[in-house]
Amino acid sequence: MFSISDLKYCYPKNDEDTIKGIDFEIKTGEIFGLLGPSGVGKSTTQKILTRQLDDFRGEINYQGKSITDYDKNFYQDIGVGFEIPVHFSRLTAEENLDFFKKLYDTNADTDEMLERLGLYPDKNKKVGEFSKGMKVRLNFIRALLNKPKMLFLDEPTNGLDPKNARIIKDMIAEFKEAGGTVLLTTHLMNDVEELCDQVAFMAAGKIVEINTPKNLKLEYGSRLLKVEYSDNSEVKEASFKLDDLGDNQEFQQVIKNNKILTMHSQEMTLDNIFIKITGRD
Amino acid sequence: MTAFLVLFLGEMQRMQKYHILTASVIVSFFWIGMLHLIEVPDITAFFMILVFFDIVSMAIVMIGVTVFFEKQEGVLKSIFVSPVNRLEFLSSKTIANLISNLLTIGIVYLYALFFQDIGINVIGLFLAIILIGTFHSLVGFLIVYRSNDFTEMLIGMMKYIIVFTLPIAFDEFGLITGELYSNILFLLPTKASSTLINATAGGLDTGEIVLSAIYLLIGSLILAYFVNKGFRKFVIRESGV
Repeated sequence: MFSISDLKYCYPKNDEDTIKGIDFEIKTGEIFGLLGPSGVGKSTTQKILTRQLDDFRGEINYQGKSITDYDKNFYQDIGVGFEIPVHFSRLTAEENLDFFKKLYDTNADTDEMLERLGLYPDKNKKVGEFSKGMKVRLNFIRALLNKPKMLFLDEPTNGLDPKNARIIKDMIAEFKEAGGTVLLTTHLMNDVEELCDQVAFMAAGKIVEINTPKNLKLEYGSRLLKVEYSDNSEVKEASFKLDDLGDNQEFQQVIKNNKILTMHSQEMTLDNIFIKITGRD
Repeated sequence: MTAFLVLFLGEMQRMQKYHILTASVIVSFFWIGMLHLIEVPDITAFFMILVFFDIVSMAIVMIGVTVFFEKQEGVLKSIFVSPVNRLEFLSSKTIANLISNLLTIGIVYLYALFFQDIGINVIGLFLAIILIGTFHSLVGFLIVYRSNDFTEMLIGMMKYIIVFTLPIAFDEFGLITGELYSNILFLLPTKASSTLINATAGGLDTGEIVLSAIYLLIGSLILAYFVNKGFRKFVIRESGV
């Protein structure tokens, strides 16, 4: 759906490129996670792809055609979910959504989304009276109101309670199931693990790693099984190689003769991969 | 409905919700109060001075207020990722601004018509408001582009008023006289504005009126070019750089 090659971008007042030649592809129907610490160029990349910034170098194709060749109707296809509130505070939630809906050729059922995200009873309330979490949920509905083919989401569950975060994640997964494509930017590795088909880690304006979450965990982890067991009231630990586990006599003895307390394969968590790859928390 | 119409009607809705139209009406009552207190047989001359200051200052302020409200609420970001082009965005704001100008002047004019003695060409006044309001709305955009916050925008507007409007006021009130001074004033867009408004009362040379209209028309086109061009940089800055 999107193919990006040798993308570079320098802000007008900067001497150095913020994006230093990145290549990646977002396939139709996948959720692509763009990860990395603050200030490495994730948001800039997203702004370039959503044409908020032009004057980039390199090539960006959307559905086989350069994004610079599209007119304003490019936005009929895409939805952008911002992290910060982006609504008229003195208009009600419904008035805000109605205003933006009129700009698009196709509209989603926003009442249904308001209902699902628990905002329907407050749809006639001014957005200025909304809590932070309510504004985040309204942002998400704003991103989906034109039934987009491609969704750009920046920290969509940030500031939400677990219940509403769950609903948003379910809706993202359903959007994908219905054929939609997503570029997700987030710091929450649980969301990444749960939703993303592919992730790219950015550091200092470059993509330093790109893979599926599962492959990354295997690649960066060790192929060991760590077992914690009780031996004569003493808690002991042992690690065994996964590759010859079936033939490992010591492992067989441990599980046969002792009470097993915990047993974990030692693939790395995405949190640790994030820190290891980007070198920052 | 076209994107322009959606944006324009949205502007009008927000001008009402954010009490900008209410402010326009209050300003017009303030002007009415001033006209009421002036005890002269014909208030035409005072009316024209009020119209001049109202259009020049309010056109700039209203653009500043609406753009800064939207900037503060982050809503510009949302508009910039919608199927809207720059021209539609800029023209919808300018035309909504003109409606606000026309509302204020219209109320004051109706008061003057029914309760005072006034003789002006209404169609001429309408056309003058369109030209002057458009020019100064575009000036408002350029001031907004160069301002980081609302205070800076107000300072920018004050600078414009001091540099471009006070010399006209000195001339109108006869505080500074002389042919050279009057001729130099013709370089200013505010002089062209003042000339067009004064022309609605008659008695001005046609050539002077036509030149003033051409000045504001060409000036507006030149400003529109820079407003359109500067919009991209403004968007980049608003996107968080």
